Formats: sequence, C-alpha cells, structure tokens
Amino acid sequence: MSLFRIRRTLQAIARAVDPSDEVDAEIQHHLQEVADRLAEQGMTPQDARSEAERRFGSVRGHKEKLVWMNRRGMAMRRGVEIGRRATGELRQATRGLLRNPGFSLGVLATLALGIGANGAMFAVTDRILLRAPDHIVRPDEVRRVLTLRAGIDGNPSYGSSLTYPDLDDVRGVGGFVGAGGYSGPRQRTMGSGDQASRVETAGASHDFFPLLGVEAALGRFPSPEEDQVEASPTAVLDWDFWQADFGGTPDALGRIIKIDGVDFTVIGVAPRGFTGVDRSRVDVWVPLTAYGMLQWGDYDFHDSRGFSWMRVVARVEDDARLAAAEAEATGVHRAGREEEISEGWYDANARVVTAPLMAARGPLASDESRVALWLSGVALLVLLIACANVANLLLARGEQRRREEAVRLSLGISRGALLRGAILEAVLLAAAGGVLALGMAHWGAVGIRDTLMPEIHWAGSAVDARLGAFMAAVALLAGLAAGIGPAIRSARADVAAQLQSGGRGSAGRRSRLRSGLAVAQVTFSVVLLVGAGLFVRSLAEVRSLDLGMDVDRLAVAQLEVEGAMPVFGEEPDQWRLENTALYEEAARVARGVPGVQSVSLTMAPFGWSFSGGIRVPGFDSIPRLPGGGPYYIVTDEHYLPTLGIEVVRGRGLEAQDRAGASRVAVVSETMARTLWPDEGALGQCFYQGEGEDTPCTTVVGVAEDVTRGSLEEAPHMAYYVPLTEDSPSPRGMYIRASGDAAAVASALAGPLRSFSPRVRYAGVGTLREALDPQARAWSLGATLFTLFGVLALLVAGVGLYSLLAFDVADRTRELGIRSALGASKQGLLRGVVLRGVGLATLGVVLGTLVAVAAAPKVENLLFGVGARDPLVLGGVAMVLLAAGALASWIPGLRATGIDPMEALRAE
Amino acid sequence: MTSTPMGPLQGTLELLVLKSLEAAGRMHGFGILDWMRRTTGDEIVVEDGALYHALHRMSKRGWLEAEWGVSEKGRRARYYGLTQKGRAALAEEEERWSRYVTAVARITRAAPA
Repeated sequence: MSLFRIRRTLQAIARAVDPSDEVDAEIQHHLQEVADRLAEQGMTPQDARSEAERRFGSVRGHKEKLVWMNRRGMAMRRGVEIGRRATGELRQATRGLLRNPGFSLGVLATLALGIGANGAMFAVTDRILLRAPDHIVRPDEVRRVLTLRAGIDGNPSYGSSLTYPDLDDVRGVGGFVGAGGYSGPRQRTMGSGDQASRVETAGASHDFFPLLGVEAALGRFPSPEEDQVEASPTAVLDWDFWQADFGGTPDALGRIIKIDGVDFTVIGVAPRGFTGVDRSRVDVWVPLTAYGMLQWGDYDFHDSRGFSWMRVVARVEDDARLAAAEAEATGVHRAGREEEISEGWYDANARVVTAPLMAARGPLASDESRVALWLSGVALLVLLIACANVANLLLARGEQRRREEAVRLSLGISRGALLRGAILEAVLLAAAGGVLALGMAHWGAVGIRDTLMPEIHWAGSAVDARLGAFMAAVALLAGLAAGIGPAIRSARADVAAQLQSGGRGSAGRRSRLRSGLAVAQVTFSVVLLVGAGLFVRSLAEVRSLDLGMDVDRLAVAQLEVEGAMPVFGEEPDQWRLENTALYEEAARVARGVPGVQSVSLTMAPFGWSFSGGIRVPGFDSIPRLPGGGPYYIVTDEHYLPTLGIEVVRGRGLEAQDRAGASRVAVVSETMARTLWPDEGALGQCFYQGEGEDTPCTTVVGVAEDVTRGSLEEAPHMAYYVPLTEDSPSPRGMYIRASGDAAAVASALAGPLRSFSPRVRYAGVGTLREALDPQARAWSLGATLFTLFGVLALLVAGVGLYSLLAFDVADRTRELGIRSALGASKQGLLRGVVLRGVGLATLGVVLGTLVAVAAAPKVENLLFGVGARDPLVLGGVAMVLLAAGALASWIPGLRATGIDPMEALRAE
Repeated sequence: MTSTPMGPLQGTLELLVLKSLEAAGRMHGFGILDWMRRTTGDEIVVEDGALYHALHRMSKRGWLEAEWGVSEKGRRARYYGLTQKGRAALAEEEERWSRYVTAVARITRAAPA
C-alpha cells in the first residue's frame, strides 16, 4: 500500500467518527433558512448570507463548541486527534525520506536483506519445528514411539525402526489412546513396460489414520479387515497424485492400479496437503500389511522380530500420564523380546520412550534441521548487523540535520514530535524494507526448500499469512531497534549550542557511539564468516573423503523383475539361475553403451550389506569390531577395478575363480590386520558359516578398506567372494564411466529398461547422487552460512565506509586547517585508514573471542574440522582487515583531496 | 416607538424550547426560532447560536431526540422532538417557572410601605 493511500485511509477514518460534519450541516441549514428569510425581505443573496452569519454570532466559535459538546468522550477525541497528527507526521516523514533517496535506498536495501533472510529461514523452520504437518488433530498428543537401547558398541542410542510384532505390543499398551505404524515412502513401479512409472508408496496401518484424526477427502481409509495379510490389497491416493494421474475425478474410486506387479483397488483419496507424520511426499498409501508383502514377499514379516522396517506413533491424551505409559510400554516391549534377551541378542535394559511428533524437536532430529535452526540464529545476526548499520546511517544523517532540527525546536516544535518523527522515519523504512523482504523471503525459501532440503515435502507455498505476520513483526522491531537510539539523540539536541556552533555539537560522544556500532557489525560478521568457513571446510572434507572407491566415476543400477522377489538366502535354484542370466545379459547391454568403461555384478549393490559368521582356525570367536561384520560381498572379477578399489597384496578375483573349483576370497585390510596381524593374510584359510562341514576358503588377496554406504563408518571387516553357480545371484550392478558418470547413468536408463520383458523397471543413478543426501547438512550449512556471511561482510564494510566518510565530511574544516598547516597527504590518509583498520581490528578481536567461545556448540555439526580451526579463524581475520582497509581507503583519499581554502571558506 | 426585542431571561431558554416543541411538535432549529418569534410577536428573540447550544445540551441529557429529515423546502435538516424524559423535564421547568413568576409578582405588587 502506498503511503498516500495510508494517509487517505487515516483521514477517512478520522472523518467517519468526527461529529463536526453533523454540526456543520445543521448550522449550514440554519444559515440558509435565515438567509432565505432575509432575501424574501429584499436583501441580495450575498448580503443575506453574511447577515445570517453575523446574527449567528461567530460561526466557527459556535461550531467548535458544539463539536466539542458532541464528542463522545475523551478517548475518541484523542484517537481522532492522534490520527490526524499521525497523518501529518507520516507526511512529514515520507517527505524527509524522499528528499534523500540515496540514503533511503541504502537503508531500505540493508533492512530488506536482514528481514528477508529471517523470513526465508522462518519459512523453513516454521514447518520443520513449529507447525505440525497438516490434518493431524491435536498434534501435541501424538508421540513417536522409540526404543533406547545398547547397540553393537554397547552405547545406548535411540532407534525409530520397529518390527511388526513390536507394533502389536505397543497397540496393547493401555496408557496409549491409540497406536499405529507406517513405513516408507519408497519408490515403487506402477504399471509395467512402456507405461511403467515410479510412485512414492508408503504403508500405513489401519489404525494410523484414525489415530491422527485425518479424514479422507474422498472414499475412505482402509478398514482393519483390509489390513490383513490375506486381504485383497487396497490403496488410498494422495490428493496431488489423484489430480495429476486421475484428473481428480471421483471415478478413481474402484480403479485398479498395479504396483510392483500387485493389483491394488483404489478406495479413497487423502486430504490435500496430507504428508503423514514425516513431511515426505507420498503418492499412494497402502495398508501396512500389503506394504509388508511388497517389501518382504512371502517372508513372514508379520511374526518376525528380525526385520525392523516400520515406525510407530501413539497418542497420549494427558501429558501427566506420559511417563507411566512409557514405563508400561517398556514392560510390554521387554516381555515381547524375552526370548532374544535371554539369548543375549537384545539389550535387557532396552526402554521404550516417546518423542514429539515434530522430529526436529526430539532426540532423532536430523542434522539438516539442527543446521537450519542454527541458520535461523545466523539470520537474526544478519538482521542485527543490518540494524546496527541503519542506526549508524540514521545517526550520521542526524548529525547533518542537527542545525535544521535546532531551528525547528526553537520554532516551537516539541521534542516529543521530533522524537516521534525520527522513529516514524525508521519504522517507515523498515516497513518498506519488509515489503521488499517478502519477495526475497519467498525466493530464498523456495531455493532452500528445493535445492538444500529436497527430502522434505513442503506442501503449500512458502509465503503465507504466518510468514507475513512474522515478517511484519520483525520489520517493526527492526525499525524500532534501528530508529530509537538516533531518535533520542536528535530529540536531546541542545538548541543554543547547536545554533552557535554551526551544527557541530558534541561530535566526540556521537562518534563513539557510532564507532561502537561499526565495531559491533564487524564482530558479528566475524562470527558469521567463521561459521561459514567451518561449514565450507566440513563440506570439502566430506567431499574429499577417501571412501575407497572412485565415487565420481560410478553409476549404480538395479533391476526390478516381474514376479515376487524371494528373500535373500531362500531363493529357489531356478529363480537364481534365471536372475543371474538376466543380470549377465544386462551387463552385456551396459558394456555396449558409449562411455561405459567396465561393469560389475554384485549381490550387494551400494548401501546393502550382508554379514555372516565365519570360523577362523586359531580363534575361539571372531573379534567384534564397532562397525559390525564381517561383511561378505558376492561379486565378479570386475568389481575391484570397476570401483577403483586397490589390491594391496596378492591378487583380485579372477574369471576362473567363478568356476568354483577352489574357494577363494579377497579380504579387506582391516580384516587382514585384525585376524592375521603378524603372519599376513595371504594363503590363510577361513570357513564361511559356522559349521565344520564347509570347505576352507583361501585368502588370495588383500584390498583397501571401503565404505559400506555411509560417509562416517566405524571400522569393519569385509571380504569378497566370487559369484558361482551355487552362490546367491546378483542384485545390482556398478558401472564405471570413462568420463561423466551422470551422462552414462542417463544413457543407461533406456537400454536397461527395455532389453528384456522380464524387467519391470531399472533404477539407474550415480553414486554421487546416492551419497549426496548424507552430505546435505553440510552443504546446507556451507551454502547459507556463506551467503549470510558475505551479506554481513558487505553490510559491515559499507557501515565502516559510511562512518568514515561522514567523519571526513564532518571534519572538513579541521582537515583543511591541518593541510594548510603543512600536514602531508600521506599523513591525512594514514590517519583515516588507521582509524578504520583500528576499528576493524577491535571487531575482529571481539568476534574471534565470541567465535572461540561459541565453538563447542557447533562442534558436533562439523566434519573433519575443529570448531576452533586456526585456518578459518586466521582467514576470516585477514578478510575482515582487508575489507576494513578498503572501506577506509576511499574516505581517506577524500581527506587528502580537501582544499584548505575551500574548506575554510565554506564555513 | 418600537420595543427592543428581549432575549430570554437567564435560565428560561430550555423551558421555551421544550414548550415550543410540546406545542408545535417536531421542528428543526430554525423552525423553533421562527415559531417562538411568531408566537411572541417578535417579543422574544433567541440568539441563534444559543439555541443550538441548548438543543445539543438537552439532546445529551436525553430530553430531546434528534434525527435527520427533509424540510418543507426540500433541504436536509435536523429535527428535534421531546422524549419522555423531556416531557417530565418540561413539567418540572413549568412548575419552577410559575413558582418564580408568582414570587416575583408578590414582590412587584407589594404596596409601598
């Protein structure tokens, strides 16, 4: 809304409640009647009118008395009065700002940056931290059910994955009003052949939806009978998916969709914007048991406590009963796990605990959400810097205006009015800045959501009423924060002194305040840039991690095959042979694609691990390493060269090993070191499996350690054995590109999806893509910290510059005299630059102290770099000192350019 | 010789207005003035401004109710009428007035000693 419109509106409001109009009309009527009468008696209309007015007495006097009489109480009178005065002051303030457009634009831009940064972060944190996902009734009552138990390394940790029998246990806990389980979402294939597409499929138990209180937009959610193993599969569509793929028609109900080869009948549509409890994008919701069938085939997932594959939520209506409910659930959980506990496979002290629905508030908060929270604090710091800068600019301008203000004061303008005017100016600037900032916040929030936190399904636009309200509040506070100090200064001005001194007043004191603000800006900038440096270094460390394989050259592919997928270790021979043949064919196809250097088939594609017991002569039991294992990888002779895993000793797998004539294995360095530290691993023998009857496997080579799928891994043992006719069949393949892995991955997708009718879908992607989500927290931190840090640096640099520039302008006369008295140009320049660099140095020292003090708090968010990294601290100090020198150089040059004669004449 | 018109005696303006409205019904300000002038044969002329003060004062007290209407000349005018409270006030004022007149009469008619 333009200022003009605001003014008009205020005036209209004042009019509407103003009784003077009524009085006016009544008096006018009277005067007309009198004048009529007089005219009838022969007077001219003009004379009649003035005679009527004369007789009425002082029209204005009466009118005013009548108006006052009619005021309906003091409060309203005051309101109208203030409104009227505000209109005037608003006009005054607007005029003041328009008179100095350069200044106003600078302030506007600074504030817009500060407010916009906060808006963008709020749009993110509001969703992940403050506002529950949509459509959940009384979300504060819904709790995530977690376990707290000792893992392999003996340290207790929180776990969110539970088994189906665990869910049944939780359902029986009386302290919970209800409980439900969900799993996924996971990409699955809808349709087949050319029509195949990928849909995000999630499973949810029949009690999940009623527990949340969500109502279907169309149709219904599954009944308890439909959430049974033998029930015919049903599906509930996501609203957006229904719109996009079914045209949003009610006819969708009853339609059959084929997911991973299984027919599902559509029975309902979830309400718009429903994301479950995890804010993930889901296209199709299926009953949890049907999801289990998709995931585990005919394996008995329903009764097994071996596969943890779902998450559980429960509702607790009364916070006071939470502890009791958790205790009860713990008892039930331990009873359910009794057998495993007694056999020592499960922590006897395992506890069931609950956490808030908003994951970011609980113990399992993702690193991204923790970084986002930090970044919100950072955005606040940027705003503080912006406010300090604006305050400084206002102060500097106040000094220029001192004479004008002194004149206004001596003419009888009240100090209160002067104060209000100054604050009003700042708030106006902040309001206008806030409007600009809204655009920035939208742009920023969309950028953060899409590129830095893509795993979250945001559902809904970034800019909404909440964001608007938040930003309005921030803008108002920023305006007040920046404006109040300078306003008080200007209102305190000493009239006589100002007028006498020609408006120079107590420059020393003012300058100290302004120097303080400049130092504060530098201090905050240092803190931000140190944060930026730490995250950038973390990201660089993450990126350059030696994972043992050539990450940037590799693509991975997995085939989805028609028909149910047997569970590992229980494949029928026939299926195994067919599957192996299919993968051999796929490998041949892939080798024919340009840019493909080599292809390897493996039972354990990226992110999969299989561990099995081994027996080693000389060991009663195999040492347990923190990373678990030993893990085995069944693969072909191309595996090590394709992944770029170096063979340190001995040889790699070879083609003839696959004949299975003799059992051979290549072991990892850690395994070699752990089992045969002195004698060396080559030629040693171990037995796969626990039994005595298997033949001995001979170690023929040692390869460097490789990650199992995550960036941070504890040491583990691993060994490679050849694919043979008797071994499990391949489940995936690695492709090494001679050049760009992404180009090869996209070139492979078509051929791999179409070479055989048995292939329902082929998932192909680069290894980098598979790893990137793990680095997301650091890339989020590095990107935004750097952005905010650079913003802060710019603002602080401009702040320092403007301080010195105003200073030089203020001291023109003094500098002129010095110059006349023979001060050298270098001396003048040095004076200004030294002052600027001095302030910058003070800021750097303070900022470094703050950064060092705050360091331990961010330590756990960093990777491979200490929070007090001297390189980062030193680098930031250098950057800021350089910026300080640059910012003081220009005003310094101006000081040397002052002509003594001009300067003295100008007074 | 023409007599100079009188202003109303201090404190009687309200009585005059109330009585006018009782006698002539709803009127606007100018109508009241005109009616009083005609009724008294120009003997009592109320000052214009004073009349409106009285009208607004009595409206505030709830003695009169005012509403906008259209005059016989087709102009927008504010019409005043007596409320219940106004009638009671009128009775009281009349009573006070007649006591006052009686008292004054006793004094003015007193025979010189």
